[in-house]
Amino acid sequence: MVNQRIFLTPGKNNKEERLNFVKYWAEYIKTHSDKDWSEQQKILVNSLIGDDNV
Amino acid sequence: MEYNKEKREIILDKELNNLDIFALKFLNIISRYTDYVVIAGYVSILLGRTRTTEDIDVFIKIISKKIFFEMYQDLENNGFWCLNTDNMERAFDYLETRHAIRFAKDGYSIPNFEVKFPKDKLDEDAFEDSINVILPKGNIIISCLERNIAFKRYFLKSDKDNEDASHLEELFHDKLDYGKINKIRELIILRGL
Repeated sequence: MVNQRIFLTPGKNNKEERLNFVKYWAEYIKTHSDKDWSEQQKILVNSLIGDDNV
Repeated sequence: MEYNKEKREIILDKELNNLDIFALKFLNIISRYTDYVVIAGYVSILLGRTRTTEDIDVFIKIISKKIFFEMYQDLENNGFWCLNTDNMERAFDYLETRHAIRFAKDGYSIPNFEVKFPKDKLDEDAFEDSINVILPKGNIIISCLERNIAFKRYFLKSDKDNEDASHLEELFHDKLDYGKINKIRELIILRGL
């Protein structure tokens, strides 16, 4: 796993910005370990879905 | 993340989040009674999308009323409840008339599983080319990547759905069968006519 730094291209509008982030994040997943990206995803998901209701 | 296209298998050594744990618990129960395939948004989330969802969509193969009652009882015994009815007969009737029924943990409405029988050949095909995602604490069967992309792009079509499709395309672009995506797109269009 490379763990290289990935750079995000700014979008000209909200739609393009969001799509660029999707591309950036996919590249991040491909160049980092599953543990690395999934720990970040876990923080996001668990902030909205707590331990009690699963 | 390793995708073996020939074996129709993805090995994913991820840190499980609460949505993944919820999915594994529920799917572990229903897999005792019938085949299932997870479709739509959760597929992209399982494979890394930076968003969550309040519901996970799943097709189950058509089962008899007797088997359904056993599955329903098992779900209840394991702390799930049906959001649509507390009557098993009615729940089965909903499924048979091609309505979806939802299950969540007792005392909660979200997140929930949206369970449905396939309504036509296009839905049934999702079982034929499914992918087994192997996680550290279990496995989850998802519909194939091309099918997810086609439905997101050409049936659901919202910004969120297009982003989900883009996520899968960016992640797996060199392993996707674009001819298959186009074929499914045509079937989606034909179904809508």
